[in-house]
Amino acid sequence: MVRGDGLGHGLGVALARAAVLGLTALAAVPVLAEDAGPWLARAAAAARQLNYVGTIVYQHGGHVETSRLVHLNDAGEEFEKLVNLDGPAREVIRSRGEVRCYYPDARVVRIEPRTFRNAFPSLSPQQQKALSEFYELRKAEAGRIAGLDTQAWVFEPKDGTRYGHKFWVDVATGLLVKARIFDDRDEVVEQFAFTDVAIGARIDRELVKPTWPPAPPGWQIRQAGPGDVEMSDTGWVLTRVPPGFVKIVEGFRRLRDAREVAHLVYSDGLVAVSVFVEPVGGARHPIGLSTQGGINIYIRQMDENLVTVLGEVPAVTIRQFANSVARR
Amino acid sequence: MGEQISRLMDGELDGAEADAAFRELKKSEGVAEWACFHVIGDVLRASGEPSPGFSLRFAARLAEEPTVLAPRPRESRRLPFVWAAAATVAAVMVVGWVAVSTLDPQPAVVAKAREAAAVRAAQSKSPPVSPDYLLAHQEFSPTMQIQGVGPYLRSASAGGTDGRP
Repeated sequence: MVRGDGLGHGLGVALARAAVLGLTALAAVPVLAEDAGPWLARAAAAARQLNYVGTIVYQHGGHVETSRLVHLNDAGEEFEKLVNLDGPAREVIRSRGEVRCYYPDARVVRIEPRTFRNAFPSLSPQQQKALSEFYELRKAEAGRIAGLDTQAWVFEPKDGTRYGHKFWVDVATGLLVKARIFDDRDEVVEQFAFTDVAIGARIDRELVKPTWPPAPPGWQIRQAGPGDVEMSDTGWVLTRVPPGFVKIVEGFRRLRDAREVAHLVYSDGLVAVSVFVEPVGGARHPIGLSTQGGINIYIRQMDENLVTVLGEVPAVTIRQFANSVARR
Repeated sequence: MGEQISRLMDGELDGAEADAAFRELKKSEGVAEWACFHVIGDVLRASGEPSPGFSLRFAARLAEEPTVLAPRPRESRRLPFVWAAAATVAAVMVVGWVAVSTLDPQPAVVAKAREAAAVRAAQSKSPPVSPDYLLAHQEFSPTMQIQGVGPYLRSASAGGTDGRP
């Protein structure tokens, strides 16, 4: 009898487990993270190649902001205009390899070169392996967003070193229409979503032109220096890089005020962490942790160098990067 | 070790690191660090100026207080749990006072704590971050490639650190 009870109990548990597994399977089908490659590449291509115009709601740390976005691909050339609809006006215009940010209240234009790097189509086998080693990819729910049929995908991190990511892509075009970064308590760190979007619409060039002339009289123009990293050995190393992150870039670059800064980039295939090291002499700089949407930033002073680390990973990971910077 | 104890109090340590910090807390220097950081915390939270020698003076004055024989509360039999709880609180308070009086921060410690608190307060205010770094970073971030506008939303966001030009 005892034995029978035990069996019965075991069977009950097994059935319950099977039921739970069945439900989980319905809600989310685990797939190999390698399989993410094609649709990630498709989403990246769609974001660049398609014409679309829509309203975006951007949420971060209790803030909600709405922006209007117009994206035009005119015979392979990209034009983009982003205007925020709440708070002080900001306008971001992307065209011909540069980005102009207009701040009318401060009468400032920032001009940045913008280099495009096609990350996902060129996911190396090593990066793909890292993806499936450190994230569990699940095909989540299909649903309607902004009037489009979408498929959701979830990258669930397998350790506390990274955030979780959920992407909703338009089934028809592959365009990303909603994206969420969540932490280990499943709380939203940052999210953006189209509330309405028209894809493939004919877009007039006028719609992507800035509201202001390229250099409005009386405005301050802040031009960034040459944008690219010149690859070289910076003399800096990271002694304890969190698992799954590999160095993808190392070199020097010039930031706006022409100071030369060492820039190292580490990526796990999905997100990146940038490490900047620059000599600042004996001057004391404000240090500590700050957050901007899904990006955490940690600044520390190391003797006569300022170390700035930032990326779309939890603060504890950013700190680990920052605390492991050393001279080679 | 101070840093480890501070990180322990911030909940940043786990496993072996935490164990090492706990071992350190068994030594008197470790306990002093612990007390010092709590004084810093109190100053930061503005929960009152730490007054040097307070707990020793309080203990002395408490000892001089006449014992007040309070009338027995009528409701006592109906509140066994409350009284049990009160007894526990009293016990904890006694232990607490013993601990605090042996750890009474000395003027130098308080001065050091104030200085440290000022530094930590300055640090707890997010340092300004130049948008240069964010823009330089985003071109390498894989997820930003599919978000297309994600990074610019951050730039255009008036509420964020990057609201500044």
